[in-house]
Amino acid sequence: MALLEVKDLHARVEEKEILRGLNLTINPGEVHAIMGPNGSGKSTLSYVLAGKDDYEVTGGSATLEGEDLLELEPDERAAKGLFLAFQYPIEIPGVASMTFLRTAVNAVRKKRGEEELSTPDFLRLVREKAKELSINQDMLKRPVNVGFSGGEKKRNEILQMAMLEPKMCVLDETDSGLDIDALKIVADGVNRLRAKNRGFLVITHYQRLLDHIVPDVVHVMAKGRIVRTGGPELAHELEAKGYAGYENAA
Amino acid sequence: MTKRGDCRGNGSKISWTQVETGSAITWKYPSCILRGDNSQGEFYSIAISNGYQQVDSGTKMIHLGKNTSSRIISKGIAAGVSQNTYRGQVSAHRKATNARNFTNCDSLLIGDKCGAHTTPYIEAKNSSAVFEHEATTSKISDDMLFYCRQRGLDAEEAVALVVNGFVKDVLQHLPMEFAVEAQKLIAISLEGSVG
Repeated sequence: MALLEVKDLHARVEEKEILRGLNLTINPGEVHAIMGPNGSGKSTLSYVLAGKDDYEVTGGSATLEGEDLLELEPDERAAKGLFLAFQYPIEIPGVASMTFLRTAVNAVRKKRGEEELSTPDFLRLVREKAKELSINQDMLKRPVNVGFSGGEKKRNEILQMAMLEPKMCVLDETDSGLDIDALKIVADGVNRLRAKNRGFLVITHYQRLLDHIVPDVVHVMAKGRIVRTGGPELAHELEAKGYAGYENAA
Repeated sequence: MTKRGDCRGNGSKISWTQVETGSAITWKYPSCILRGDNSQGEFYSIAISNGYQQVDSGTKMIHLGKNTSSRIISKGIAAGVSQNTYRGQVSAHRKATNARNFTNCDSLLIGDKCGAHTTPYIEAKNSSAVFEHEATTSKISDDMLFYCRQRGLDAEEAVALVVNGFVKDVLQHLPMEFAVEAQKLIAISLEGSVG
């Protein structure tokens, strides 16, 4: 069974139709990349999948392991295993990153019918995962994303992803605002999470990220639809030729 | 309800801490009279209003002695259709040389039908007084709640987490046992305030 299956999805934001019949199937273990020009609806797709308010689905379906995603609340989708790494992670003043992680992990575990992690187990797990992403303990004591650099924010997103053990990870322009070293740390973090029961949807403008996170399938999105699908070589072609030919094809 | 503390001795200190979840209508101004030289007054407050509650709360710092100082940290949270007002007086008497006050007054709005107000009364009759007043008003943004919910927190857990972050400066001043209680009290007081 497909992990994520999106069929003929239509969605709009404030009367403006952005997704216009999008189809996408991701099987367990696969890494898909979506590339496309600004305004093609890539971020909208990630928000619609995650269930953000103001994004109204007007047609089509989206299922995770056969279960209707669109009927669920955002936190229920998270508990089912959908994770969205935000393009612009949100700041939460006064809430230590560690507290946030712990609250999130336990909330998800509770909804999945698992026991809460004990404090020592939790700390051990955080230390291990944080170390892999070069996140020091000091950063975990600071309020969530407040005063974080671009690289710190994105590494923090990947840390949350690693802690929550999702099945389907959507990365919305995780490469934006990263220098080369930070990009490599983040990409390595993602690659470590690749597993045969886990799928990834990597949204990006640039082929650069896909040199590090090598996708199985590359899609080109334009005007709310997927207009072309190919292998990793498609990303290189786009890098060379640009999106010009696709704006009209849609 | 108004309690007054009188700092009579040289270098004496009174610190008020309140976590106010209140009745339908609350007027409450625990105050300090800084009579002794070098005396200090503090007021740390969390005031939460929900439903149709009206909270009007704050403090009075009355500087009479020399070299007296006071500090006010107030966090107001308004949800539902409630109105939440901080009302505070800081005054320096003619003979109160070198009186100092720092006031920080932050308000957080949940939803779009509630109100937060700040009404400071500041009066310095001695030209050496230094009084500072800072105030902010912010709203729990939908983006913040969505971020929390994407990480698995339900709507109420998300609000409780954000609000606990907002009041952290005051919670730090509570005894540990009370701080734990206060966190839970905040969550209960805000039940049903979203979604």
